[in-house]
Amino acid sequence: MNQHALTGIGAVSILALGTVQALAADTRKEVRLEIAPGGMVNVVNNTGAVSIHGGTGRQVVAIYTTHSSKIEVDQTATPDKGRIELRTHALGDQHPTSDEARVDFDITVPAGSSVTVSTATAPITVEGLSGDVTLSSDTGQITVRNVAKAHVHVRGVTAPVNLTDIVNGHVEVTSSGGAVQMVNVSGSKVSVGTANGNITYRGDCSGGGSYEFTTHSGAIDVTLPEYASVDLSARSVSGSVQNDFPLQAKPHSPFVPKSGSSFAGTSNSGLSSVELQSFSGKIRVKKQ
Amino acid sequence: MNCQKFQEVLPYIIESGGNKEEEEHLRTCPACAGLVEDLRYIATQAKLLLPMHDPNPRVWTGIEQALRHQGLIQEGRMSLMGHTLVPAQTKSWTPVGWIMAAAALMAFSALLITYRPQLPPAPASAQNMNAQSATLPADDQQLVSQVSERAPDVRSAYEDSLREVNVYISDAEQAVAKDPEDAAARERLVDAYQQKEMLYEMATARSLP
Repeated sequence: MNQHALTGIGAVSILALGTVQALAADTRKEVRLEIAPGGMVNVVNNTGAVSIHGGTGRQVVAIYTTHSSKIEVDQTATPDKGRIELRTHALGDQHPTSDEARVDFDITVPAGSSVTVSTATAPITVEGLSGDVTLSSDTGQITVRNVAKAHVHVRGVTAPVNLTDIVNGHVEVTSSGGAVQMVNVSGSKVSVGTANGNITYRGDCSGGGSYEFTTHSGAIDVTLPEYASVDLSARSVSGSVQNDFPLQAKPHSPFVPKSGSSFAGTSNSGLSSVELQSFSGKIRVKKQ
Repeated sequence: MNCQKFQEVLPYIIESGGNKEEEEHLRTCPACAGLVEDLRYIATQAKLLLPMHDPNPRVWTGIEQALRHQGLIQEGRMSLMGHTLVPAQTKSWTPVGWIMAAAALMAFSALLITYRPQLPPAPASAQNMNAQSATLPADDQQLVSQVSERAPDVRSAYEDSLREVNVYISDAEQAVAKDPEDAAARERLVDAYQQKEMLYEMATARSLP
């Protein structure tokens, strides 16, 4: 056997061993935990994705994949099964890299359960729940879909936030630099505040609720259907405002509208209150 | 009649009391009523500064022209309603009286021009442009350093966000200082502090072992 052949065999062997080792490091586990009706599921995971779906029954089914032996997932449940916690942590004095620390979760919870998730860079996706949802991430994308009659509380540092099809909700989003996008989000209170993240809303602001979008330097874009029943006001201190939605002037306004930097008005019977405020960002309201 | 339209004819209303529609708005709108009350008070005080003698009609005409130029008097509105700023000359004038009256009325017209009830004040915008280059206060630096020890991937996210939020707080504080009665400005200040509180809370949680 010549030297080239030996080199080739060696390379293939190393590659194969590496692959085997990598596969061995990826460990997939499934746990099933009983939860009391209306119980809470708490997930803490720094890196890796966390995906939570609403399901039936009385069990929380968590499938998770670890990518290193330096990390593990603790599962705890209170004796009354009212609270379940899944927490990722490094083993002993191990210092896993970001890749090694990654754990991917796919969790199914009874639809009425409350869910709390905290991550550093991991994206969070929650859908199909009717219990309260509290999510926070430093930089990971936060997505919430198809949630009804729930308190949705989201916090992010620069995490982008996407909320879709949330009905009869009590929604509170605070994100410093992440953009917040909402599609068909309605409820008694929808409050979004950012420092420089853009805020986008597309929906009908229904339900006679209070909708408050506030940003320091981000832009606010609101798109409403013609049938939207809103009492709307928009103010920007040094940014501009633009309204392409048909509004009727209000006989009384808490402030004096100033062309180009503020406006106020109502459409239809003005059921929902919509307040848009920014310091230097542009505010735009348009018809869908 | 809404607040904006009411504001457009404010000088005329101060002078004459306004028509029926304007009076109705004034009666039912606390914001505009407060504004008119303030301006009438100032006008009364200004009149007290007047000496025994009224100024020359040219002074009144000049002020009227200035107000018209600023768009605070609509062309034709005064004459249509039979009002004018120029009063009947009943007494002779002195130079001191002329100067004091002019000063008082110029202050009054300047107030009319600059008065912005319940609107947030103009920004002190050195602000946004400096957000990226601003140095973090010691507490913020310590927080960032603690975060980066355990989660180096998110260090820059916290740094940038703290800078942005500090500018937000500074802007909101200035707005409140300029107009402490501005409820919207006060709300924004609370929002800004809540943003910072959130960052500290999240960073602290991230820093714990």
